[in-house]
Amino acid sequence: MSDLQFRSALSHRRDEDLPMDLCVSLDEVSDRAMIDLRGSLDDPKFVAAATAALGVALPAQPRSSSVKGDITVLWMSVDQWLVTTPRGSEQALLSKLVKRLGNTFSFACDVSDARTIIRVSGGDARSVLMKGTSVDLQSPVVKPGWVRRLLFAEVAAACQFVHSDPDTFDVYVFRSYADYVWEWLLAVARKGARVQLYGKQEPPLV
Amino acid sequence: MLMITCPVCGAEGDETDFHCGGQAHISRPASTDPHNVSDDAQRDYLYIRNNPKGLHREMWMCARGCGKWFHAERDTVTLEFKSYYGITESAPPSSSPNPAASKTTKKKSAGR
Repeated sequence: MSDLQFRSALSHRRDEDLPMDLCVSLDEVSDRAMIDLRGSLDDPKFVAAATAALGVALPAQPRSSSVKGDITVLWMSVDQWLVTTPRGSEQALLSKLVKRLGNTFSFACDVSDARTIIRVSGGDARSVLMKGTSVDLQSPVVKPGWVRRLLFAEVAAACQFVHSDPDTFDVYVFRSYADYVWEWLLAVARKGARVQLYGKQEPPLV
Repeated sequence: MLMITCPVCGAEGDETDFHCGGQAHISRPASTDPHNVSDDAQRDYLYIRNNPKGLHREMWMCARGCGKWFHAERDTVTLEFKSYYGITESAPPSSSPNPAASKTTKKKSAGR
């Protein structure tokens, strides 16, 4: 029997050259595994177990994330987090989580292959992504660590602001949408399609 | 356009970022007495909805924020969200009785 081999959703795009006239750089982040974690913050046993297993506190603030070493925990809902960890280490982390959580009212599941991460970076990243969503990405609340679920290019997505200088966003979309979102970004991120209307505007000359 | 703030996670958005679950606090007759449900009661439960001019209590879901349901009181005239309360909470006593709705009820009863 042949061994199962991981192929990322956009691996066939790797060989293609990106168009020269893109105003942002696009890449697929395929080396992250994901664990879906659910539980109540009101349950001190759950919080203690999850913190001990992950080595980092669960972000309680809406639209925030916490990082410790290789592990990033993204806030998805008031009782749901998406834990990302390097591919290959997810089974160890998951079994550690499940063992620690024990019989607390909680849920942890490996969802590594459910989503694809597309990294959009560059000075125009905010305005390119804002073409696909109603969320104001120019807002000062969008700072490193900011994360939120949104409707992006008509599909469900999550967006994480990784770091600034240059502005870098990770867009999490379901795997079956990866190709569509990639095509969509290729089309709207052309230099000629750049939008100058977001953010603070100079008053018109009279 | 409706401007909505999720009371659970604080996400702000318009009606495309939320999902409306329709009129709140509709009780299902079969839940209280499953053996004696009249056709009229079942019809009202399935199809008959209020269409008030003024305060309307609705269920909404924060579809692009936290995915949680909540209750909201919305003014159908100004499209303003007056107040929010938890999805498991029952209807609060009406702070400002809706004059338009009570007028219609009066008219109806007078007609009968």
